[in-house]
Amino acid sequence: MHAALIGQLTIDGLLVGGVYALSALGLNVIFGVMRIVNLAHGEFVIGAALLAAVLFERWHANLFVVLPLAFVLAFGLGALIQRAFLRRLPEDLASAETTSLLMTFGLSYFFVGAWLAFFSGNFRSVPYLTGAWTIGPFSIAQARLVAFVASGIIAVLLAMLLRYTALGRSIRATSQNLQGALACGVDVERVRTLSFALGTAIAAASGCLLILIFTVNPETGANVTLASFAVIALGGLGNYAGTLVGAAVIGLAVSFTGYFATAQVAQAAPYVLFILVLLVRPAGILGKSGA
Amino acid sequence: MRGRALIAFIIVVTILALVPPFLNGYARSLLYITVLYVALAYAWNVISGYAGYLSFGQVTFFGLGAYTTAISVVRGHLPWWEGALLGGLISAALAVPLGYLMLRLRGAFFALGMLGLAQTLQVVANSWQLTGGGAGLFLPPGSNALPVYYWTLVIGLLTFAATLFIDRSAFGLRLQALREDEQVASTLGVHVTTTKVWAFVISAIVPGLLGGGYAWYLTYVEPVSAFATRFDLQAVAMTILGGIGTVWGPLIGGVLMSQVSEMLAAQYPQAYLMSFGGLVVVLLVFLPRGIAPAVSAALARRRARGAQGHQ
Repeated sequence: MHAALIGQLTIDGLLVGGVYALSALGLNVIFGVMRIVNLAHGEFVIGAALLAAVLFERWHANLFVVLPLAFVLAFGLGALIQRAFLRRLPEDLASAETTSLLMTFGLSYFFVGAWLAFFSGNFRSVPYLTGAWTIGPFSIAQARLVAFVASGIIAVLLAMLLRYTALGRSIRATSQNLQGALACGVDVERVRTLSFALGTAIAAASGCLLILIFTVNPETGANVTLASFAVIALGGLGNYAGTLVGAAVIGLAVSFTGYFATAQVAQAAPYVLFILVLLVRPAGILGKSGA
Repeated sequence: MRGRALIAFIIVVTILALVPPFLNGYARSLLYITVLYVALAYAWNVISGYAGYLSFGQVTFFGLGAYTTAISVVRGHLPWWEGALLGGLISAALAVPLGYLMLRLRGAFFALGMLGLAQTLQVVANSWQLTGGGAGLFLPPGSNALPVYYWTLVIGLLTFAATLFIDRSAFGLRLQALREDEQVASTLGVHVTTTKVWAFVISAIVPGLLGGGYAWYLTYVEPVSAFATRFDLQAVAMTILGGIGTVWGPLIGGVLMSQVSEMLAAQYPQAYLMSFGGLVVVLLVFLPRGIAPAVSAALARRRARGAQGHQ
């Protein structure tokens, strides 16, 4: 029984971890290219999640309709934000970091307010796939499995985009060496806009999947930002493979604390883990952030 | 401050000290809120403006002060101001180890680390019996707002004095040096860690002392409002509007925005969050250095022109 419980919580945790990984990948794309941490990331995730919930309530809109819609809307919104505001960040790196943090902090509250106005403060969920499959002693919630598989598909598509397309090559080049990319004729402004838009769109996609599993309201965005940031802090900023490991760890932490403590404590778990890791390896993680 | 500036300052402080007993409750609470927000903005400005460590969770200490006071009054039957003092002491005592730990982090790591700390303490306050859980703690009603106002005014003035000191002292120069480049500052002989931990302690003790007054003023404390990161949003918006890392910035921004903030936050939280969040973004694009540097530049120009005229 005990082993079965642990197995069950592990399965649940890893499945949720897939969605966290997707959200963190969006954050990572933006960080890689622009060297900024988008503190409004969680708000984009939650905005899409609430949109999915409302469309489901009104018209029973299917996930396959909502996810592309949210993706496109968020892509446009991300491009707009980059063109209107983030493009004007100062050139010098240190003050650009400070300004970008302040700016995305302001943006995050702007969107909390906007979502409160659009969606009200009610907690929403999507009671869409409520069944479960049973395999031996374990039960696998349909919603979690669908969210996990969909996250995986989107992550693979992203990886292919980065590896095989001209845009992907430009994004990787800009991430690795800005001067080099400029020298090779990469239109860095355009790459930045597309990367921020892409990162935002991925956040929205992960929101549409997250709502299958969790109940959210506009004020839960900060928790998502923290969890996503914890994932990439554990895996290393800008490190895509590390993101998967970090996401698995965070997913397991949420799943186990959610069972043995309360759902509230589970929300704080990613953060506590993030601080504990920084305690043990501050230099390693600092080294990455300073780059 | 010399000459006319000093005289103006003394007049303003005298008015702030003598007028409140003659005001009605509404005006008095507006004045209290203004002084409170200005003081919180000043506290935030030390660690984030002068030292350059953006903290989005200084409300941690505000909530800590509020809860320390509420627990002291409800469970320990102490007078509120002893509880508030205790809240300040605990905040300072906690800020030392926390500073050594958190200030090893930079940029987004520190900013999100502090934000997460506030969220975590909110969870703790929500699930602990001592803090009354989600319902919070109720303090004896009918308390007088006037003592809280004077408490806040004194702490606000001390914070202002601390800022003046920081702006003009070697300590302040060390802070600004490490803000610009920590390694270079360290090479020049600045004890980087000690200096920034001190700044962090100043930025922690002030909200720690003020939180208790706020709890006594509201006559209750509960997890969501005590650790609401909107206090940090406010400090950020006010300080940027006035001028981040300047002596007058938090005062200018705080006075201009406290009233708007108080009106909107209670009645239209959506509009409040959208306008304060939006303001931060717009200011960073169009007026990144805030009002204070623009005003002092204009004053300097006028003085220069005046000097030319006299020749």
